[in-house]
Amino acid sequence: MSKRLSLTVALVATTALLAGCATPATPAEQNVTFAIEGANLSAGHMDPHSSQLDVSALVGRQVLDSLVAQDLDGSFVPWLAKSWTISDDQLHYTFELRDDVTFTDGEKFNAEAVKANFDHITAEETASAHAAAMLGSGSAYVDTTVDDEYTVSVNFSTPYAPFLQAASTSLLGFYSPKVLATSADKLKTGGPDVTVGTGPFILESYTPDQELDYVANPDYNWGPENAEHTGASDIENLTIRILPEPSVRTGALTSGEVNVATNLTPNTIDQVGDGFTVKAAEYPGIPYSLHINESYGVFADPKVREAFSIGFDVDSAVDSIFFGQFKRAWSVLGPTTPNSYDASLEGSWPYDPDKANALLDEAGWTERDAEGYRVKDGKRLSARWIAYTPIPDDRAALADVIQSDLKKIGFEIKREALEPAAYNEQYGPRTYDITDWSFANVDADGLRSHFHTGGFQNASTVSDPALDTLLDDAVATSDEAERTTLYQEVQQYNAAEHLMVPLYVPSLLTGYSDSVKGLEWDLYGRPLFYGASISVD
Amino acid sequence: MTDVERPAVGRRVGVRLLGYLGGMLLVIWGAATAGFLALKLVPGDPVEVMLGVNAQVSDETKAAIREDWGLNDPPLVQYLGYLGRLVRGDLGESYQLRQPVAEVIGAQLPATLALTGLAILLALLISLTTAFLVRGRWATRIVSTIELVLVSSPTFWIGLVLIAFFAFRLHWFPVTTNASFASLVLPAITLALPISGILSQVLRQGLVDAASQPFALTARARGLGYPALVARHTLRHAAADGLTLSAYILGTLLGGAVLVETVFGRAGLGRVTLRAVIDRDLPVVLGIIVVIAVAFAVINLLVDLAYERLDPRLRVQGKAA
Repeated sequence: MSKRLSLTVALVATTALLAGCATPATPAEQNVTFAIEGANLSAGHMDPHSSQLDVSALVGRQVLDSLVAQDLDGSFVPWLAKSWTISDDQLHYTFELRDDVTFTDGEKFNAEAVKANFDHITAEETASAHAAAMLGSGSAYVDTTVDDEYTVSVNFSTPYAPFLQAASTSLLGFYSPKVLATSADKLKTGGPDVTVGTGPFILESYTPDQELDYVANPDYNWGPENAEHTGASDIENLTIRILPEPSVRTGALTSGEVNVATNLTPNTIDQVGDGFTVKAAEYPGIPYSLHINESYGVFADPKVREAFSIGFDVDSAVDSIFFGQFKRAWSVLGPTTPNSYDASLEGSWPYDPDKANALLDEAGWTERDAEGYRVKDGKRLSARWIAYTPIPDDRAALADVIQSDLKKIGFEIKREALEPAAYNEQYGPRTYDITDWSFANVDADGLRSHFHTGGFQNASTVSDPALDTLLDDAVATSDEAERTTLYQEVQQYNAAEHLMVPLYVPSLLTGYSDSVKGLEWDLYGRPLFYGASISVD
Repeated sequence: MTDVERPAVGRRVGVRLLGYLGGMLLVIWGAATAGFLALKLVPGDPVEVMLGVNAQVSDETKAAIREDWGLNDPPLVQYLGYLGRLVRGDLGESYQLRQPVAEVIGAQLPATLALTGLAILLALLISLTTAFLVRGRWATRIVSTIELVLVSSPTFWIGLVLIAFFAFRLHWFPVTTNASFASLVLPAITLALPISGILSQVLRQGLVDAASQPFALTARARGLGYPALVARHTLRHAAADGLTLSAYILGTLLGGAVLVETVFGRAGLGRVTLRAVIDRDLPVVLGIIVVIAVAFAVINLLVDLAYERLDPRLRVQGKAA
């Protein structure tokens, strides 16, 4: 090659390269980085089969597919199951499986694989904190049976309506049977050779407390029916970056270091400017609520419970503390919970210190002590609120407002922040007046564990056969209209009895750069990366 | 030194070494025992902690896990079993991670060593530079104020400020990739700043004190310039004061690593320690305590030896260890 020719070639090549950079038609590098909070993931929470944490489900979704998918309208569409039938007595769900699905370690997906996974979820060694219960284990679930290679049945002893919803989550997603047979004990720790499913992404490396690196599953051709995208994901490399500090997540997004960041906090949202979108997805299920123990102390009296519930200004506290990002809650179900929400409760129990005072007078708490608190028979009107750590700053601020508002009507609130272990020691025997949490759950059946006699989340210790019947009936029917009516009755029951005082509906705040196209969302508001891609235009 | 003296010196060194080793074992045993007691006294069942709040796990399952982890044995049996394994060099298996503790620590150690190593280097560099360069009333006042600010600022906050400025605004250093050396710079600076603050204060004070001694005056009278005086004479004196701080610095590094690793989202021993303490993951906590006790013992040994090199008066010539 002559000198001149090589110079020309170099020039042409350089020009082409420069031109290439400027032309939007050239595909951008398909690398997506996703920042999450994720601090608990390394504590043995990599396995959605055993972990009850949101982050486990979020991370698990990249790798684990499900039998069905739930559309945003609440309906169910085929995924790894082509179709399904429910027996007339609603005790047997029979799934026809796709026959072209393989795990990324080469194992075949079939009826045996489904059975192996459901057996793993319900096995005692798994110590499943949530998935087993979602499958109905311990109440309705009997077993999973293989009918033929691609037909599988899930059997129940009593009708269990929430099953399909459960089956659509990554908690009931599928690991390779080879992993379950050889290294089930390593699933909680997780890792490239262990966290193996049929999903759109393959976990390539995992550095606990730092990041998870995925590559696209090149063979993937079995996305859920409601996905816009088909075939393998356009994203070549997906990195999930664990950044526990909220301001760092927001900064990483706005500075372009990550493309998507979730669990953003309301106080950092205003830093997210042009070129980005923030999606606020209200969690379905039980809003952030105070759970009032009616069988321990002063809350045995319904008048005291009612006075408490209207004795502090929820609206202004929630609005100022969460920068208008979260809505005040009126019911024990969030508005986005499918087929259940009772909107008639909105505005029905506003802040009313006068009425609260009157109710407390009626209840006999008429005297006042030196500090201004109400007294009856020499005892101060006082309630003890236990909360488990870590307590986010905004919730602490909310509790401050509640405490000081109630002091004005002579109601003392004592707060105790307890580590989970110490918390459980008081939660077990229910020795507190108030405790607090929210519980994201797509199916309104989440109310059953809170309100049914003996429910594991029944913090208010309510035990009423009428309420039990409502909850049992609602879980036993798959008629949506009937379920809606029953759950609305449950919500009305709480509005009359004040067992839970719902405060606000948390939203999952996820910010993303506008160069990320095709993101989809599940019903919890979590981003789904399968159909996403990067385009710079 | 004559040939006759040699075996005696050899024996003396041997006896000293044995003394050190014995002391080290005592320290490790003490630390392991204190750690064991502390974790047994803190309320909270590790199984409940592992499962977390709102876990839907039956009591039978919980009992099975307790049995599996050996938590049903009397504490004394657990303690003796633990010591027995420790003597054999076995740190046990993590409750949470189902991995040998040695593996858990081994996997995180390089990241933490890289972070703390670079932080120490930077801290030395910064404090030596200021010790050499800063003279005169005003310069000293300004620098001491900066040092005071650095020492009193929370590590957490320093980290966030550095990230906001150097990573998000100027884009000089990445925060979200961990493979490169560049990503180590900001965390190491965050960790180094408070240490360099206190170290340079001590060094400078030492230099000033040494410079007021008669030997310094003699040296200056011989015509020695200030830099040469520092390099050849007074730094040796000041360094002895700095060495005294090494245990404090080690503590700062370990405590700071927890915060720095959280702010920067880095893996490392600090995060593992924090997580293990919160989760009552006894084997991991004890394993880390043992590793730290060894580190302290080794550093104290090195410091003792370094004192002797710096200050000939402390050498054991002529007296038995």
